[in-house]
Order: sequence, then C-alpha cells, then structure tokens
Amino acid sequence: MQTTIQTSEPSNQVTARLLGFWRTFRKNRGGIVGLWMLVFIILVAIFAPLIAPYDESSSAQTSISDIYQPPSANHWFGTDDAGQDVFSNFIYGARVSLTVGFFAAFISIVIGGLFGLVAGFFGGRWETFLMRFTDIMLVIPDLPLMVVIVALTKPSLLNIIFVIGLLGWTTTARVVRSQTLAVKSRKFVLRARAIGAGKGHIVSRHILPLVMPILVVQAVLVISLAILNESALSFIGLGDPTTLSWGQMLNYAFGRGAMSTGAWWALVVPGFGIVWVVLSLTLLGQGLEQVLNPRLDTHHLMPAKPTVRKEAGEQPAGKGSLLDVQNLSIDYVTEGKARAHAVENVSFTLKEGELLGLVGESGCGKTTLMLALLKLLPAAGQIVNGRVYFKGQDLTELGEDELNKVRWSGVSIVFQGAMNALNPVRTVGDQIEEAIIKHLPDFPKANLSARVTELLDLVGIAADHKDHFPHQYSGGMRQRAMIAMALACNPQVIIADEPTTALDVMIQAQILELLDSLRKKLGLAIVFVTHDLGVVAEMCDKVLVMYGGVTAEYAGVDVIYNDPRHPYTQELLKAFPDLTKPKKKLSSIPGYPPRLDALPSGCRFAPRCPAAFDRCKTEQPALHRVGANGHIASCHLIEASK
Amino acid sequence: MSKETFLEVRGLKKYFEAGRPALFSRDVRHICAVDGVDFRLRRSEVIALVGESGCGKSTLALLLMGLEDPTEGMVSFEGRDITHLNDHQRKDLRRKIQMVFQDPYESLNPTQTIEEIVTEPLLVHGIAPNKSERDEKVKKALEDAGLKPAEVYLGRYPHELSGGQRQRVVIAAALVLEPEIILADEPVSMLDVSIRAEVINLLAELRITRQIAVIFITHDLGSVGFFADRVAVMYLGRIVEIGTMLEVLENPQHPYTKALISVIPVPNPRLRRERIILQGETPNPINIPSGCRFHPRCPVAIEACKASDPPMATLSKTHQAACLLLVK
Repeated sequence: MQTTIQTSEPSNQVTARLLGFWRTFRKNRGGIVGLWMLVFIILVAIFAPLIAPYDESSSAQTSISDIYQPPSANHWFGTDDAGQDVFSNFIYGARVSLTVGFFAAFISIVIGGLFGLVAGFFGGRWETFLMRFTDIMLVIPDLPLMVVIVALTKPSLLNIIFVIGLLGWTTTARVVRSQTLAVKSRKFVLRARAIGAGKGHIVSRHILPLVMPILVVQAVLVISLAILNESALSFIGLGDPTTLSWGQMLNYAFGRGAMSTGAWWALVVPGFGIVWVVLSLTLLGQGLEQVLNPRLDTHHLMPAKPTVRKEAGEQPAGKGSLLDVQNLSIDYVTEGKARAHAVENVSFTLKEGELLGLVGESGCGKTTLMLALLKLLPAAGQIVNGRVYFKGQDLTELGEDELNKVRWSGVSIVFQGAMNALNPVRTVGDQIEEAIIKHLPDFPKANLSARVTELLDLVGIAADHKDHFPHQYSGGMRQRAMIAMALACNPQVIIADEPTTALDVMIQAQILELLDSLRKKLGLAIVFVTHDLGVVAEMCDKVLVMYGGVTAEYAGVDVIYNDPRHPYTQELLKAFPDLTKPKKKLSSIPGYPPRLDALPSGCRFAPRCPAAFDRCKTEQPALHRVGANGHIASCHLIEASK
Repeated sequence: MSKETFLEVRGLKKYFEAGRPALFSRDVRHICAVDGVDFRLRRSEVIALVGESGCGKSTLALLLMGLEDPTEGMVSFEGRDITHLNDHQRKDLRRKIQMVFQDPYESLNPTQTIEEIVTEPLLVHGIAPNKSERDEKVKKALEDAGLKPAEVYLGRYPHELSGGQRQRVVIAAALVLEPEIILADEPVSMLDVSIRAEVINLLAELRITRQIAVIFITHDLGSVGFFADRVAVMYLGRIVEIGTMLEVLENPQHPYTKALISVIPVPNPRLRRERIILQGETPNPINIPSGCRFHPRCPVAIEACKASDPPMATLSKTHQAACLLLVK
C-alpha cells in the first residue's frame, strides 16, 4: 500500500498504472515468452533489409539449377521454386503477414468494439438491430465468404486487409457487449448518474476503462486470427500476387512441386513463421487475460494440505462434549508469500443440544475455523496445530474417505449464501434426495420420497412444494431447504455460517426460531457463526468472540454481555445498536480489523484498543482464565488484575 | 415556500410493467413498487425510511433522485415541483440532492483514484474551473468526511481502502457538491459492526456542521436509534406508520411496526423477549391484497380489514399510523 503523498498529474497516474500492470505481467511466464516472441518477429520484419542475406527481387539472376536447392552455407534454408533464398523471403514475408494481421485486426476491433459498446450501453432498438446483425454475420462462415469476396474483387493487399477486417469483428462485438452490460449494471455507474453525469461522460470515464482490458485481450486474439486468415487466403491462391506473404510462399511451394521434389524447407519455413506468430499471440493473449482478469486461486476442489503438528495434543476432554476443539491453528500458505496465520490456538467445546455463537468481524478467521473442523479448507489452507475431537475421534488425523463418513452424517454445514447454491434446473426435492443418496448409499430407495417430505416438514415447508424449482422458492424458503439438506443424514452437529445475513429481519426471526426448535426437537448442537451480536444474545448458550484469528473471549452468553473482560468485546458492544436504548450514542472502534498478511506483532487488537499499554504492542497475550466457569479472555490486563 | 418543509412528497407512485398474465391477455400486470407515499422533510432533519425487502424503499430513493420517473404524484423541493424536469434542470438539482449507496465496494469505480472520484462531480457540473480551487474543495470534502489528512488518500485506489473508508469516499464525493439532502440507501449494512457507528456518526455530524438533511433508508430499525429525528415504516409500497423516533420505537401502534420491533434482536440475553413472528413473507407487489395491504399477515386483523384500505390515523401531532383499529 502506498502511503507517500502523491502529486496528482494525470499523466503520472497513467504511467503508474502501466508500471503496476507491467510488474504483474512480468511474472506471467507464458505471457512474457509470447511477448518476446512477438517483439522478435516484429523486429525481424522492420529490419528485414538488414537481416535478409538477399534482396526481395533476387530471382532475376538465378538459373534453373538454383531451384529447390537444399539448405547450404549460401542459402541457410535452401531456395524455392524460383530459385530465391527461402530465408530472405521468410523475413520479407513477415512484413506482409504482420501488416495484414495488424491492420485487419485494427478494423475488426474498432467495428466490434463500437458495435458492442453501443449495443450494450444504449440497449433497446440499437441493441436488437446491432446484435441481430452480428448474429447473422456469425452464422455465415468467414473463410468461404472471404474467398468469394476476394475472388470477385481484385486480390490486392488493401482489399485483403479490408475483407478480413470487415468480417472478423463479430466475436469482439459480442464480448464487448456482454462486458459493457456487466459494467453498466454496476453501482458506480448509477452513482455517476446520481452525480449528474451525462452519457458521454459515463461511457468514457466509467465504461471504457473497464471494457478496455477485455478489448486488449480480444485484439491480440483477433490479430492471430487475421494472420491465419491471410495465410489461408494466400495459400489457396487469393493473395496479392505482387507481394510475398508466408501464405503465398506456401502456395507457391505447394503448387509448384516442392512436395514431389522433397523440398521440405520451402514448406516448413513459412509454416514455421505462421506457427511462431500465432503461438506468440496466443501466449500473450492468455497471459494478458490472466493478469487483467485474475481469478482467485483459492478454491475448494483440491484437498487442503495435510496436517502438520508441532505439539502433541491432549486427550479429549469430558465425555459430555460432542465436539472438542483444542488449540486449533490454521495457516494459509501461498507460494512466494509469508505464511498467514489465519487462526491461532482456538479451543472450544460443544455439548449435545448446545448453541455456540461464534462472533467476529470480516477476516477474523471464523469461516476458516469452521471449514477446518471438517478439513474443507481451500487448497492453501493448512492445519498447523491442534485437534478436533468429534465424539472422541480426532478429525484432523482422518483421511478423506473416513472424513466423508463424518461430514454430513456427523457434522454438517450450512454455508454462507448457500441458499443461492441450489441447482436452478432441478427441483428442490430432487436435490435433497440426491444429498441423501450420496451420503447414505444404503438408504432404501422406496423410502426416499417419504424421507424428503419428512425433512421438508421438519423445516416448515409444505410437502406440495417438494417438486418446485428453486426459483419458485423465496429466499427464506431456500434457506429452509438448505437446512433440510443439512439435516438429511441426522447429524448431531450443525455449523451454520451466517445463515441469516442476507435475509430480512422477519425472515431472520423465522429461521432463528426454526433452528431453535430443531435443537430442542432433535437435540442438535449448533455452532452459529455471525457478526450480529443481537442474534447471539437472543439464541446462544455460549459465545466465542474472535479477533484477528485468535480467541478474544470465550464465556457463557450472560457473562459476555454483562461482564465482558476483553476490551474488544466491550467496545464491540458499545458499537452495536440496542433498540431498548434508542438514545444511546453508538461509538465505533477506531481503525480497522487487521489483515491476515499484516498482523500486528503484539496483541492483535492493540492498535485499536483504548486500554493498550506498552506490553500489548510487543507481546501477544496468553489465554487467561477468569473465574471458574470456563470464562477465558486473552488480555494482559486480566493477568495484571489477578 | 414554507420555512419548515423543503422537500415534500405527495401521493408518489411507481408502477413497473410486469408483463401479461397470459400470452394474449389485454391487461398488463403491474408491480406496485411505490404505491402512494406522502411525507415531508425539514431542513437538517434526519428521517429514517424502514422496511423489509420489497417494501419499495429503494425505488422510492430512485424516484427522489430522479433516476426513475414516477407514475403518479409529485415531489417538490423548495416549493418547486421537481417531478418532471428536463435534463438541464435535473442536473442542477442533482447538486442539491446526493446519494450514498449500500455497497461501498461496488459504488466506486475501481480504475479511478480517490482524487479522480471526488473531483468528478465538480468536473461534471463545471464547478470551480480553476484547478487549485478544485483541489481545495476536494481536500475539504475528504477531510469533512473524516479522511484526514486528505493528501494521504488522494492517490490511492478504492481497493487499497477498507469498507468504512470507501463509504467515506462516497460521502466525500457527495459533499463536494455541497448538497442540502443526502439520501443514504443502507449505507452501513455491508460494513463490519465495529465501524458502522463511524459512518452513522459522520452523517449525524454533517447535519449539524453543514445543515444537511438525511433520508436514511434501512431494513434495520435497530440502527436508526439516536440519529433519526423521525421514522417512517414502509410496507408494500406505502408508509404504514410515521412518527418521531421515540414515538415509533417506544410506542409503536401499527401491528406491522410492533412485529418488526419485536423481532429485532436485543444485545442483552437478560432481555430475551416474546417475539411476534409474522408467518410467510411480504406478498408479491404484483398482487397487493385488498383492503388493508397488511391484513393477510396481521395477527390482529378483523373482518373489516379485508374490505377497506385504512387511512392514516392521527395519534399525535407527529405520529400517524394506517390501521383500522386506530380509527375511531
């Protein structure tokens, strides 16, 4: 992050942006290779007269014996059907091929970009007209049409450029249109309108800068396509007869007996040029795409790294506990970066029928902790210490197969935003059935339908909604369906990660009531992950407050709200609105939660803590016991007051 | 122009076409997003518009901003009807009413620096053509929005800032035009609890230092607390109860308001209350129920509620609610 004071010359900003882009791009190996390959061939084309050993028109002095000479010291890559030096022709041919490629692509990009932008931004009739026209152009096969047009007109270089350019814009128009649509619907465009900005301003300042990256990637691909098209046209004899492109070299060699005389060099060399350029552009395009449209490389498809452990664990605690988490620590390991300690030394226990609230702000590690319990961490995540005992069995020691038996039927998770993860083309009942079959393969098929009805009934969805599709469900009902799915295999523990965050207060109340009744009815233990202190006070028995990946405080719900000992808990409560005290002025905690890659050295809350003293800045506080009821808080002040 | 009221909304309606019920049907169905809203706003007053999703509060915001045209009704500002303006007049008005959006991650263009973002409104309106004057205004707006010192932030990009700081940038970009009303659409719902208060406190401060009136749109009655002067509760496109903050929060009269207040979790386990949980969800605004629009979900509905649409019953000089049971 830059903290220096910047002067604000616009040109400086553009340079800075380009420099920033170059710094990222430089690390993309494929892209860099493509770029150098392209620069190399462009330099060759520009300095052709200096590099080529023979002139373009050196055939005048050749005799019959020079035709199809194999490679030799005089002619590195042999000679062609006219006795010309293949290497020289190759170098001059680069000029033609690249010229056609670049100019034709320029035409395509301008037309496609303009069409896409206009159609996407203005919509309505413009869009209908332009996009139907684009569709028609897409349906017509390019190459045959080009052949027809070039054959009917004079096959000059200029004609070829225009024909390729005028036919190659369709994909660009579509790509640009969809990107424009996506950008147009973003809130900052609405904000610009609210400021009073006109259409021109919005297009040039807000839409174009975000369409540009896609256009650049597209341009690179269009160039390679144009070069291929030119080669194809030339190869079938429709090139400009006065110039010699690589396609034309192929055409001449092919048509004039290079194959039968075994003169492979006359075919391989121009072919190599085409491959070289197209390959370089493809690599470059791919590299640009990866840099300009980066996707997160954290995903959940690969199992996380195996557990490594520094310390030996303790034995599982008392028999009453269903889930016993001891000193769990999780790191994110990304190549080239320092380890991020996402969760450190977190412990808690969960008894049957108990409801634990896990409270924390974004980035406090609460979701990571939950995922780690079932080893569902993204690929970069690694459990570095601690144990997770479920009914006395250490889950961190289990392999994927054994874990799969515990997942869902022992502990199941209702993921954050999961209600949007239902498959839209299958009925809800169908999807619940699938979940049952997947996790309980021995479940009698005849009872499946009855079981689904039973589950839906449990979460308050009438049986006649079973065969409805997710879009026929409201948000609250979808969340209920997700809970039904989580209950499918009779788990004893449910982890609910922000299950009501995107829902209205009334629906939230309905879902909370549902979870509470399920807990009573089925004896479920629930871990409720949330940032809403009100919900926790209303529902939970115990509360674990996390901050910056560590336990701030862990105690019974009454203690947390009425006798909090950690300054973070105290400050958080002051920041939370209370309807029963409408006149209370809320106070925010100054500063922001720490980022995982920049954790403070001492206590993680110290930079924002009103009670911090010197020791807090250098030494991370241990977990201290307060009183006898398992109240734990990590703060130096508690040790001092003992 | 009355001394008090400077924004007045009367019978405001917005219907969106929702296609035909059948392929060859003649009548077109409508979504009644906003269905007859009246309220007045005084200078430097804070009014909270509270309601669940689908109650029409966001459409109302767009209508007030002139980003959508109303189907019926009018909005007047400083005594002037601003419902139907041409582009030029509208642009002038934009300076006076500014908006803060819900999602500070989405409402800033990621390719612009903070300086460009805050300068943009000035360029659009051709205010302060001189660069040094412009820089001065931008710095002042940033510092008024709590981003001090402004120089530190000017060259940064939105992604380098935290959520709370981004929301401050959005507010600074509104302040730079010296507006008289700020329309804040769920400005804190995407922020972490510990920093929500700072944005609310900032808005509360601005009404004092700059005499800005605030229309605060939210689904969370709990968060309007000390900061709102008056609260209006919306249900299915209409205001069902309006009153001072204390009247509505401590003495709600409409059954919907009562239910809404009862389900807001209180951060104190010793105060776990009886909740009035309404069953079902807000009906689709295509089919507004007959009579009182709340009657199908109302726990105290009587037979008459199905037939007659209740008028606003006056409970005090400032407190009104639309419920038949309150009409005497």
